[in-house]
Amino acid sequence: MTPFRNRSVPCYAFPAMTSSRRSVLARALAGVGLALSYGLLGGYFVAYLFPPRRTATRRRLFVGRREQFRRGAAHPFVDQRGRTLLIVARPDGELVGFDSTCPHLGCHVHWEAESASFVCPCHQGFFDADGVATAGPPAAAGQSLARVTLEVDERGGTVFLQES
Amino acid sequence: MARLRRFLTETLPVDWDQLRELGAEPVPHHLKHWWWCLGGTPLYLFVVQVVTGILLTFYYVPDPDQAWESVARLTHEVRFGWYLRALHHWAANLMIVAVMLHLLRVFFTGAYRHPRQLNWCFGVLLLACTLGFGFTGYSLVYEQMSFWGATVAANLVEAMPLVGPAAATLMRGGSEVTGNTLTRFFVFHIGLFPTAMAALLLLHLALVRLHGVTRVRFSHEDDRPGEASFPFWPHHAATELLIGVLLMYILTVLALALPPELGPKADPLVTPPHIQPEWYFFFSFRLLKLTSLQTSVHLTLVVGLLIFAWPFVEDLLHRWLRMPREASVVLGVLGFLGFLTLTVWESFAG
Repeated sequence: MTPFRNRSVPCYAFPAMTSSRRSVLARALAGVGLALSYGLLGGYFVAYLFPPRRTATRRRLFVGRREQFRRGAAHPFVDQRGRTLLIVARPDGELVGFDSTCPHLGCHVHWEAESASFVCPCHQGFFDADGVATAGPPAAAGQSLARVTLEVDERGGTVFLQES
Repeated sequence: MARLRRFLTETLPVDWDQLRELGAEPVPHHLKHWWWCLGGTPLYLFVVQVVTGILLTFYYVPDPDQAWESVARLTHEVRFGWYLRALHHWAANLMIVAVMLHLLRVFFTGAYRHPRQLNWCFGVLLLACTLGFGFTGYSLVYEQMSFWGATVAANLVEAMPLVGPAAATLMRGGSEVTGNTLTRFFVFHIGLFPTAMAALLLLHLALVRLHGVTRVRFSHEDDRPGEASFPFWPHHAATELLIGVLLMYILTVLALALPPELGPKADPLVTPPHIQPEWYFFFSFRLLKLTSLQTSVHLTLVVGLLIFAWPFVEDLLHRWLRMPREASVVLGVLGFLGFLTLTVWESFAG
């Protein structure tokens, strides 16, 4: 059964490579150690193969304090991507935010408090307070302003922009 | 148990005695010296490269717009990605060192001489293959340094006589380094070179086995009868196993202490003010600074061919010019010192 051709030659790596009890134990120990360490490495490799779950990296960007936003008025805010947002405080106090870029040709809309609507000066596009186009080329194309998600921390009285 | 054994012997008709005989190849006594493992070391590292390389391709994207990003994601986000990349990086560097040391040992012990000339040639091809791996792999990261390194290397190839322009076009997939080049380097790195390397390794090992390991006797060792050789299995295999563990340890320490960096992304429009290849091409880079493009390319080619064909060249010189064979040692020392000088020079003056 022994694979050793020449038993008289001691192995250099394991000098006592005979079948005494001590050497059998030593070899068993070495074998277990090897199996464990390469097994651990194999475990790392398997873990590597499972891509990290992209936990939705939710970032909050501080926009301002709650009382800064006057009802019926729009407040511009530039986010980290450079977009100019318009944040409008509705008569009931609810805050809504929109990207001010007109979906028609990319001009910037502004808020008109009297009519409670967004107006694009380039081609007379009108949007209501929910950002839905009511007149002009955007209305013909059925386009709306892109809405952003705001988060109001009532206790702290602070307003955040949620970025995904 | 008996049925299982019968099933195995029937489905796997292997003659175990013959296999044992095959494994018990007698290897010379000197292989018991620990440093006499430079043949097994590159082989072990090659296996590491194959395993880590296959794993890296799970996340790598060979596209100019995504290559660098995928490496960044792999390094920073994927679990153990940094470790795998570092293992691959350091095993590559160690492999080049190990192959070079193996070559030096074979050269200075005269083991390349008759009847092993062909195996020397296969060995030099393996070295070339290893350097090709290093070069293409480095370029795949697609950082500024590797992109412009590829550009310089392609110009070097272009300067080769006769085949240069065609070879450069084939290598780049056009007249410039572009997205095509990245695809090609990827194919070279994970398809062509591994296949060539596996085939060459097979030939190399088959020839080692057929010729037997060159016998070297040290003057301080008395010729003990009966101990001229010992069986490869399990004795030398055990040594190689331990060396494998030691190598993993060294690789992990290097991965932790000196993880490979990720430079700025390649920008074909902006040449960095200071470019330098990986250390194993320092000699070529320094030569390029010392002489003209043509001279350095021709010189590298001539020296490369001389190394490749040295067993035969030595024979011819011996026969025609009565050059003593020991002169090879002097030439080898001079050649290696030259390589070392250029490399060290470039690393300090670079």
